[in-house]
Amino acid sequence: MTAAITPRERRRTSGFRAGPQPEGRPSLWRRIADASLPYQLLTFAVFAAAWELYAREWGGLLIPTFIETVEATAELLGSAELWQAMYVSNQALVLGFGIAVVVGVPSGIVLGRFRTLERFADVYLNILLVTPMAAIIPLLVMSVGFGLTSRVILVTIFSIVMVVVNSRAGVRQVDPSLIEMARSFGASERQIWSRILLPGALPAIMTGIRLGVGRAVTGMVLVELLMVSTAMGGLILEYRGLFKAPLLYGTIVIILAEALLLISVARWCERRLTRWAQTTTARSA
Amino acid sequence: MSTLAGQRRARTAHPRRQPSWRRLPAAPLSLAAGAAAWELIGHLAGVSFFPPLSTVLVRLADMAFNGVIFSSLGDSLLNLALGFAISLAAGLLTGVAMGRYRRVEAALGVYVYALLTAPSLVFAPIFFSVLGEGRGSIIAVVVMYAMFVIIINTASAIQSVPAHLVEMARSYGASERQVLLRVMLPAATPMIMAGVRLGIGRAVTGMINGEMFIAVVGLGRIVTEAGGRFDSASVLAVLLVIIAVALGGVALVQIVDRRITRWIPKTSRGDR
Amino acid sequence: MVRTQTDPLGSDDYRKERLMIEIRGLSKSFVGQDGGRVEALRDVDLDVGENEFLTVLGPSGCGKTTLLKAIAGLIPWQDGDILIDGTPVRGPGADRSMVFQNFALLPWATVLDNVAFGLRMRGVGRAEREERARSLIAMVGLSGFETKRPGELSGGMQQRVGIARALAVRPRVLLMDEPFGAVDEQTRRLLQEELLAIWEEHRLTVVFITHSMEEAVLLGDRVVLMSARPGRIAEIVPVPLQRPRSSDVSALERSGKYVEITAYLWDRLRDMHEEHRPATVAR
Repeated sequence: MTAAITPRERRRTSGFRAGPQPEGRPSLWRRIADASLPYQLLTFAVFAAAWELYAREWGGLLIPTFIETVEATAELLGSAELWQAMYVSNQALVLGFGIAVVVGVPSGIVLGRFRTLERFADVYLNILLVTPMAAIIPLLVMSVGFGLTSRVILVTIFSIVMVVVNSRAGVRQVDPSLIEMARSFGASERQIWSRILLPGALPAIMTGIRLGVGRAVTGMVLVELLMVSTAMGGLILEYRGLFKAPLLYGTIVIILAEALLLISVARWCERRLTRWAQTTTARSA
Repeated sequence: MSTLAGQRRARTAHPRRQPSWRRLPAAPLSLAAGAAAWELIGHLAGVSFFPPLSTVLVRLADMAFNGVIFSSLGDSLLNLALGFAISLAAGLLTGVAMGRYRRVEAALGVYVYALLTAPSLVFAPIFFSVLGEGRGSIIAVVVMYAMFVIIINTASAIQSVPAHLVEMARSYGASERQVLLRVMLPAATPMIMAGVRLGIGRAVTGMINGEMFIAVVGLGRIVTEAGGRFDSASVLAVLLVIIAVALGGVALVQIVDRRITRWIPKTSRGDR
Repeated sequence: MVRTQTDPLGSDDYRKERLMIEIRGLSKSFVGQDGGRVEALRDVDLDVGENEFLTVLGPSGCGKTTLLKAIAGLIPWQDGDILIDGTPVRGPGADRSMVFQNFALLPWATVLDNVAFGLRMRGVGRAEREERARSLIAMVGLSGFETKRPGELSGGMQQRVGIARALAVRPRVLLMDEPFGAVDEQTRRLLQEELLAIWEEHRLTVVFITHSMEEAVLLGDRVVLMSARPGRIAEIVPVPLQRPRSSDVSALERSGKYVEITAYLWDRLRDMHEEHRPATVAR
């Protein structure tokens, strides 16, 4: 099981000596050195400087400098073309991900509750988890063409596995003694579902939805880059064809920003809804 | 892949008597049923994009005999091996540094996380412009897919080494190096291997996606070309090969994992 | 009434021997969960004689484990000094070794490698450390288990490994942090008897943390009673029971003195508890 890095209390395992130590309030420098933000900014500055230098020295036509990329990104954000492309891309994202949640959560719950069904579905879920979905894009295009439908289907296929697997894990991880407890108080099957199973599974379901968002964005970009050259992916390919390197890089920056923004929103929702629990479900990102 | 392990535990945890058909291994049965359904639907539907399994298998055999599959598979496996080796080396080093030194984590953590969740293929055009149209770009895509999950798991594994073990080692006068090599790394191995297992799955995905985007070598190129010809049987045939590569990779990592973490009691294996 | 004393060099028989551990004015505080300062130890003075068996008893949160870790050189502190045989503690040293409450065994290493761990950290060669480890394993009664891993052993056996590991480095001071707190009652009794036997035969200085009054009295030459918030030494209670004690523990436990001291310790612990009871309970 993988776990995400979460801010945690640091163990001080090194960097001190036993024995008497002078005491005092940590100095300003000490507090700056202990915070994370300065290091993050430093990393970014080093990265930007290295990029700028590399591009200036060896760049040429294909590699823009950092500054050119920033300018191009700003330019793109002000252009109608980008927002048009964004709208088209996200149509597929919203529809496809919506279907994944609506279909995936109930399927996962059913699989988690009914072992027999799950035993047979299991092998396929595992194959789906490791299979590079991009390879089925050609089949999709053959069957439903280059339109919105094939992009929606691909986004759904990309994200639904995460949703199903985590919902299933969520139902399964509910403590059986809680169900027994509810039965002992005379709870009906319906009450067990609404009072015990679903609330208990919620954190894992939310984890699945968050991971699903990430996969959905990946699917959206992938299909546009590999087969259906429209919208955001289309912009990338177009700028690449025209050797407009700064605009190409700018588009990539914007796609990354959108992906991270969506994932952050999903994470925020997850935290809001599941504050009582530290979820321990599959985090296979 | 934690689900796989969870499965195994759930199954062994219920050894009670079951009806005879239930005692059959579910996976092969389920696969056989799926194959039959594929064949049947393929024949009944009669559409070009969903040929029956037999057609796909015949095509696969053809491709195997004329050598197309093997040369591409060789290319792909080379991309995979190189990319994964780089991911493993860089991922373990970075992960250990992040897990051990707070400042390294402060500097890199947020970026590693962002790159883990971001759609990795959008970097392909960048690699394309920097490394050119060739193997280098594909390997870079593989690294982009596989490395970050290894970093995150390694860092998190090092951080969750029980504090009392580290304290114990220090009480016996262990040096920083001894603590790292003799206590932290062995203790972190199970979780690191979980990350490596995820990494190999992602590396296969990266390999195919990279090869499809930079269609010059490998299985991905065959998929792209077959897709362009509307040759669905070939696409599916290659897809079967790709699934085999992915499952083979995961199985390989699992074998290595079992060998080096043999000390874990069987009962708690499922927890991972 | 039990005679109590705060002068550590009272009239008991450890006096004739020299001091092994001297603690002078030790104070330690740290930043707690809520951001405020927690005083783990305030102005602790304590002397431990050579080859003395000292038990430390107190309510949870009284800083007894902190005290032990400070002696082990595992944590920094603000004020005061700890001397081991006259040398100030500046970190972990070869003269002390520790037995941990949760055993702290390496789950991937065999019993033999676990016992040899401390020797390995100190650069002892393979042949010698395995030989020493084997003899220690025999001493704690685990011969035949050398190639087993901790996961295959019971809790009591695991702690035997922990004790063997600590003794393998031939320490002058053995620091034990509630070593039998995580094992069941029967095993605990056996381990106590064995520890007494080992100590009686080999004689070394032991500082033994416990939250059990019976254990403190059964094992110790003196019982250091600590109080919480801030962690301080409330009283040092001598245990004038005859040695060796390992031969007939049950007879000892029925003796008047044993019962008397245990009862006294309970009174004192209960008093401390009353002092810290929140005022609101009175309503």
